[in-house]
Amino acid sequence: MLLEVKNLTKRFGGLTAVSNIDLAVKPGAVHGIIGPNGSGKSTLFNLISGVYKPEPGASIVFDGDDITDWEPHEIARHGVARTFQLLRIFSGMSVLENLLIGHHGLIRYNTASAVIGSRNVWAEERRVREEMMELLAFIGLADYADMPAGELSGGQRRLLALGRAMAMRPKLLLLDEPAASLSPVNVEIVLDTVLALKKRFGLTLIIIEHILKVVMETCETVSVLEHGEKIAEGSPAAIKEDHRVIEAYLGKEMEDSEVRALLRSA
Amino acid sequence: MLLKNNYHQYVVNVIAINVILAVGLNIVKGFAGQVTVGHIALAAIGAYTSAVVSTKLGLPFWAALPTAMLVTGLAGAIVGIPSFRLEGAYLALATLGLAESVRIVISGTESLGGAIGYENIPPPFIGSMALDAHRSYYYVVMPLALLGIYFSFSILSSDIGRAFKALREDQLAAAASGVNVRKYKIIAFVLSALYAGCAGSLKAHMAPGFLNPNDYTITEMVTLLLMVVFGGIGHIWGGVIGAVLVTIINDLTQDYYQYRMAIFGSVIVLTVMFMPRGIGGMIDHHLVRRRFKAIREAKSRAT
Repeated sequence: MLLEVKNLTKRFGGLTAVSNIDLAVKPGAVHGIIGPNGSGKSTLFNLISGVYKPEPGASIVFDGDDITDWEPHEIARHGVARTFQLLRIFSGMSVLENLLIGHHGLIRYNTASAVIGSRNVWAEERRVREEMMELLAFIGLADYADMPAGELSGGQRRLLALGRAMAMRPKLLLLDEPAASLSPVNVEIVLDTVLALKKRFGLTLIIIEHILKVVMETCETVSVLEHGEKIAEGSPAAIKEDHRVIEAYLGKEMEDSEVRALLRSA
Repeated sequence: MLLKNNYHQYVVNVIAINVILAVGLNIVKGFAGQVTVGHIALAAIGAYTSAVVSTKLGLPFWAALPTAMLVTGLAGAIVGIPSFRLEGAYLALATLGLAESVRIVISGTESLGGAIGYENIPPPFIGSMALDAHRSYYYVVMPLALLGIYFSFSILSSDIGRAFKALREDQLAAAASGVNVRKYKIIAFVLSALYAGCAGSLKAHMAPGFLNPNDYTITEMVTLLLMVVFGGIGHIWGGVIGAVLVTIINDLTQDYYQYRMAIFGSVIVLTVMFMPRGIGGMIDHHLVRRRFKAIREAKSRAT
């Protein structure tokens, strides 16, 4: 397993946002996480990426290392990249600089040589800039390299957030609603880019998504959360038929046949 | 720039010292986005350290300067610690507290001259020649200012400068991108403190070799802030442009001393409202605009 999460719980005061979750993701897998609003999906990501610390008793093992108590930047440098629901791109920095920050952990020169501006700093800068320009070209933003990231359009911002995460050369990429609030055309572009990146860099993906179509088409395994608990897990086809999932999403009143029709149309 | 008039020469030296101070403040505040009001206290620490080292220990200026920078750098690390937990106005308050307590401690310490001031700080010597005239002191101040500008350029255009900007923009996203947030905050505070220590030491040894704790009040801090804000906060030239302009304005308006803070205060407010990125940012904005306009036009012509 590339990522193995056991017994993960997080409480905020009296609210249990994530409760006893186990999760195992194989290398190369595309794992989907769905669930209604407030079901703990983003909290789960924040726990894996180290933004929140879980309650005692949990363990998060990534690539053979127990990263439960690691700092966010250590987890990132170890190969776990993530995007944010609200993107959090560095709007005041250029598009290329956003990627260079993503590449931060892989830039090789020390503070002292940067202060005196030694020659190897310039050589290294030139090298990483070229490398990041390649990545920018791959996600289709090469023309905007020097533009302030804040001036990009909505779809471009999502691509940039993706690029910044990829600049870390991660093994595992956590995508928090990569297609939210995008037009159908842009959803296609972003998804194609995600899958192209996965293929090119041999990524493992965990995707939180509200748009069921995205999950059903791209994921091999889907976990369903409700009220912080994992209520179901399996292939997209099996999840579609699961009673608890249907209830969680649509309530109990609907006839099963109607619900199935709805989910199928998704 | 060597001037015949002794007073003008003095003003040029003060500009150079203020450039060092402002460039340092721009690193921690403009680039790393840490709202510190403690910079002026760091300058005081540098100045008094240098004064004590040269008078009580009898060390020459050339040893006192690095000692002052070292001590101030350590103090900068301490000033930076509250930034782990505090942001924005809260950090400003915490650093303001630190800054004021430094000044009050100096005022109340007899051996540091107390409120009367610290006298008889020796000028730098080259062999037996004292650089005690403003005209000769220029050859100490100006090279250091240029060196300081050069270092700030290489720092800020490197990955370290980018990490600072990432902190300013979004700490959570910076950490998720692998930036060690605490480490870079401390680096920013220490680097800017080294600048403050250098500027402080230069001020101490400048003729007539006299320091007064009243030169390190909140008023001076506001003046410093004005330099950075007016010149362009987070702009690589911001500290330089601001220090030069504000020092000159400061000098020309000396007759209206009592109104100065009111003028500076309103200039800060107006700058933040109408020119939030200062003069440097405004110039950049126009350059970038023109470039992207050209790119867009080329593209629309192509299609």
